Amino acid sequence: MLKIVNLSARVAGKTILNGIDLIVNAGEVHAIMGPNGSGKSTLAQVLAGRQDYEVTGGEVSFENQDLLALAPEERARAGLFLGFQYPVEIPGVNNVYLLKAALNAKRKAAGEPEVDAYEFLALIKQKMKFMDMSESFLTRGVNEGFSGGEKKRNEILQMLVLEPKLAILDETDSGLDIDALKIVAKGINSLRDPKRAIILVTHYQRLLDYITPDRVHVLSGGRILKSGDKSLALELENRGYDWVQAGLVA
Amino acid sequence: MSAALRPDTDRPRSAAMRSFEAQWLAHSADPLHEWRGRSMDRFLALGLPSSREDSWGYTNLRGFAARSFVENPSVIATRSANGAAAAGIEGLQVASLRQMARENPGVIAPHLMHASDVDMQRWALLNAALFTDGLYIKVSARVTTPLVLVHSSTGSAENGVCYPRVIIEAAPGCSATIIERHESGVPHTALCNSVTQISLAADAQIEHYRVFNTHDEASHIDTLEIRQHRASRCKQFTVIEGGGLVRTNLEVHLQQPGAEFEGYALLVGHEARHVDCANIVRHDAPNTRSGQTARAIASGTSRVVFNSNVVVASGAPHAQSQQSSRGLLLSPTAEIDTRPQLEIHTDEVKCVHGATTGRLDPNMLFYLLSRGIDRATAQSLLVYAFLDDVLTGMSSGDTRAAIEAALIAQMPDGEVLREFR
Repeated sequence: MLKIVNLSARVAGKTILNGIDLIVNAGEVHAIMGPNGSGKSTLAQVLAGRQDYEVTGGEVSFENQDLLALAPEERARAGLFLGFQYPVEIPGVNNVYLLKAALNAKRKAAGEPEVDAYEFLALIKQKMKFMDMSESFLTRGVNEGFSGGEKKRNEILQMLVLEPKLAILDETDSGLDIDALKIVAKGINSLRDPKRAIILVTHYQRLLDYITPDRVHVLSGGRILKSGDKSLALELENRGYDWVQAGLVA
Repeated sequence: MSAALRPDTDRPRSAAMRSFEAQWLAHSADPLHEWRGRSMDRFLALGLPSSREDSWGYTNLRGFAARSFVENPSVIATRSANGAAAAGIEGLQVASLRQMARENPGVIAPHLMHASDVDMQRWALLNAALFTDGLYIKVSARVTTPLVLVHSSTGSAENGVCYPRVIIEAAPGCSATIIERHESGVPHTALCNSVTQISLAADAQIEHYRVFNTHDEASHIDTLEIRQHRASRCKQFTVIEGGGLVRTNLEVHLQQPGAEFEGYALLVGHEARHVDCANIVRHDAPNTRSGQTARAIASGTSRVVFNSNVVVASGAPHAQSQQSSRGLLLSPTAEIDTRPQLEIHTDEVKCVHGATTGRLDPNMLFYLLSRGIDRATAQSLLVYAFLDDVLTGMSSGDTRAAIEAALIAQMPDGEVLREFR
């Protein structure tokens, strides 16, 4: 589904990604872990098409398309979803209208008719209930006045409505208390499907207590230093990132 | 020989000044002649404002000076917001200013004597001298149906100028919503010099709108003067979404304790439009409150200026004022200038102000794009969101819808926005 070959990128003139190679197949859940400043979020943003992040080399194919040639909105319509680490507040743009417009943009690109307004409302209410969100979210601006946890839940809500082929979730677990973490994990698990893939970008192992990854990668200095199965995450929790970085030097 | 005919200086008058003087000489005397003459004298003595003057620093009128203006008639159509005749609204007296001037000049004359801040009110002096008709509106009940006034010019003379005037008086404890729309379908009317005066007696409440949606080549200079007595409340919206050059003046006098003013400005610079909005709010009594919220957007090669000034007099302790001004630049060739000012002559006041100008937030834009929204739609959505603080303050739903429709027409991919409202 996703194939990244030797991807390099820089932000504000500084090289952050330094030759990333990664293959994600349909049905898989990958966790990308790493210390602060290792390039995890940059990778997520580059894949979503952030324009002030400059790709300096490498290739990315998504569903056999050249992902880097697509504009961010085209990537979204092709089935890629980025769950933001810091979802931005947009007062004055209604949360639900945005979601409806997003869904319709995707359907239009797929040659499907626009969603019926009543069906949409029923769908979103059902998903909100699943995510344990209050109906007041329906009338508020995008992330406006939401707590950190509410913002993350809203990201997962959007993901559930848009049903992406590939979801990249950037530190969706950060800032969540244990109850919120369980709800968010429940939302993510509900999307697991043989036709979909999920990339979890995370700093800590605790999200992986609730979502079992197929593959775990350690990113450091803009490169993937080590890959393994779920036991790698546990080892990292016990031994820290220094262990991987030191291992490379040795 | 009238004083108006004596040149104040030795320098030759501009073609524009000569033409204004000729218009004055051509007017036949009415019972207000004495007051009008004083205004004309003063206007001629002052001349056209120059860009060296503080409040005219951003709007150059040199292009006007060389033109010889001729008077064009203008009309004000009135109706209630639900489409019925204005005459049917209970508690509202709507009369012709010409008729009032003839039959009851004592009611009108006091309104011609104000013009306290000469620097800003120069065009109001010219209007006082030369207005031929307009409306006198007396609010004497709690009126719930909004009154709509549609100004338009009917003349066809080249370099036409018109002088509409509206006087609104709200009696104690009475309230009304009044919407003035300026629309010029006639490109010949080069200049409209309009004046509206609103006085609120004790405990009166007025919500007033002035909406400029005029022809691309039309110039408009509007002066709005508001005087508020004890515990009166005025909510005012200035919306500029049309015209070539639009300059608005606002002067608010909070004359008695407890008076409250809340002003909103929605200023849209589009293509080559020049918008200059100059406000001054005077706190002249204790415990008075004012708020000003301005949102300006500028695209193309347009320029938008918002200057607001709050003056708290020495006899106005415990005054509170707030000024919030934000600008959004949508093109590299557009310009927004905003300048909130405060002049405080007493202690124990609470006055805050803030002004920012920037471009669309790239984080917000990327967020919307990442959800599959078209770039043009995303930009329009963010512009709308930016204007939300002003739009949501409007109590008149019909007026808001009409303002939004005109905004949408000027935005990229604006059609999609209808879905979002």
